[in-house]
Amino acid sequence: MYAGFYHVFKNVKGGGDWMAWWFWPLFMFVFTLLIGIISPVSGVGGGVLFVPLSTIITPFNIDFIRGAGLVMAVTSALSSAPYLIRKGLANIRIFAIVAPVMVITSVVGGWIGLWVTNAYPDGKYVIKVLLGAIILLVFFIMVSSKRIEFPEVKEEDRDSLSKKLNIWGEYYEPDLDAIIEYTTKNTPVAIVTFAIIGFVAGMFGLGAGWANVPVLNMLMGVPIKVATATSMLIITANAPAIGIYLTKGAILPFIVVPSILGITIGARIGAKVAEIIKPKFVRWLVLAILFIAGVLNIIKGLQGMQIIPPILPGV
Amino acid sequence: MEKKGPEREIRVDEMGLAFAKIMTIFTIVGIVLMVLPAIAYFMGINPYVPLTEAHKYWRLSANDFWLNVTGRKVTGYSWIFDHLDKTDCLSMIGVLILMITPLLSILAGVVKAENRTYRILLLIAALEFIASILVKSLVAVTSGAKKVVKK
Repeated sequence: MYAGFYHVFKNVKGGGDWMAWWFWPLFMFVFTLLIGIISPVSGVGGGVLFVPLSTIITPFNIDFIRGAGLVMAVTSALSSAPYLIRKGLANIRIFAIVAPVMVITSVVGGWIGLWVTNAYPDGKYVIKVLLGAIILLVFFIMVSSKRIEFPEVKEEDRDSLSKKLNIWGEYYEPDLDAIIEYTTKNTPVAIVTFAIIGFVAGMFGLGAGWANVPVLNMLMGVPIKVATATSMLIITANAPAIGIYLTKGAILPFIVVPSILGITIGARIGAKVAEIIKPKFVRWLVLAILFIAGVLNIIKGLQGMQIIPPILPGV
Repeated sequence: MEKKGPEREIRVDEMGLAFAKIMTIFTIVGIVLMVLPAIAYFMGINPYVPLTEAHKYWRLSANDFWLNVTGRKVTGYSWIFDHLDKTDCLSMIGVLILMITPLLSILAGVVKAENRTYRILLLIAALEFIASILVKSLVAVTSGAKKVVKK
């Protein structure tokens, strides 16, 4: 069955031979418009969805897809973050604490990731399987957790760092027709966790939205909407990695520009949707995206190690 | 139930608002500078890599793509800055602006930070950001044709 599945998609990918060249840029626009709408609602960077799906359905080489995916993820975050900040949904205080930690650990992770993939032939596939396993672990933790739409952080739960840095925020929740005030707990543990996430994200060359949301929501106790919006803000810290792809000529207009236009327009729609959408729906959307991302990574890793036959092309 | 909207203005940090303002401005500038030359590129006006050529090789890795269309691999930013008269290369200036937009936003936050602690935290983030851009670009350049961007 998977052989048939693979054959169908391989033919679609080979469509560049019989389709006019302009079809694919146009396709990228529509495709990324849809991803752009989902991205701010879920807090998961567009790249996490864009890269695996594009490798399946488009004829572009993975180099250009990765480059475009990164620019898209950053641009999507840049487009929606200002609106989310003004609405009180994305928290600059949390960003100020997390960014210095994640920027440095993502660079270290990137270095070690390159070393692993250079030193061991199957290293990158092992890493992909591990990443998939981590994402699925987060998925199962989120499925089994309760009260994450509006976590309660009592005054006695707050850590001394949260109090000292006066981490707080508020936003209007249309679902309750009320202004929700929130603060944080477990800040020191969260900082260490973000350091690990930065390391892992840098190592795998991914955005970190998939991990930011559960840490902000479940560990630090911020409402799910604030977690997704602040995650979007944190993703902007991935921007320096664009330099890697630009200096290798892996970012080119024919794929990047239609994708950016799609993701930008989609993200603006998505940011408004994020404000009015029901928190429960956001939660299930995040869970679905985490599950898909986890499974795709495990499949890619296993087929790269030739443990299973090829299901997803472009690996 | 009829929703009335918030009974008062939402309180947002000054540093957050400054951060958001700069991010909005430079994101728009970056996107415009990327899209306008790209429109000219898609119309076939003065390209460095014509779309008819790109179409033939976009299945290849970045290294092989450049070997086929220009006869040499790309390492560094010179392919952009040496060909700013070409619409596809000019379009990449917009991408460069998008890359540094978070840095400019953080610096705006530094100026409006409500206390020294947040000022220092954001300043550290800004310095790390600059170091990260330099290091990541340097890694790509020094690794040359080896394998930073792999098939």
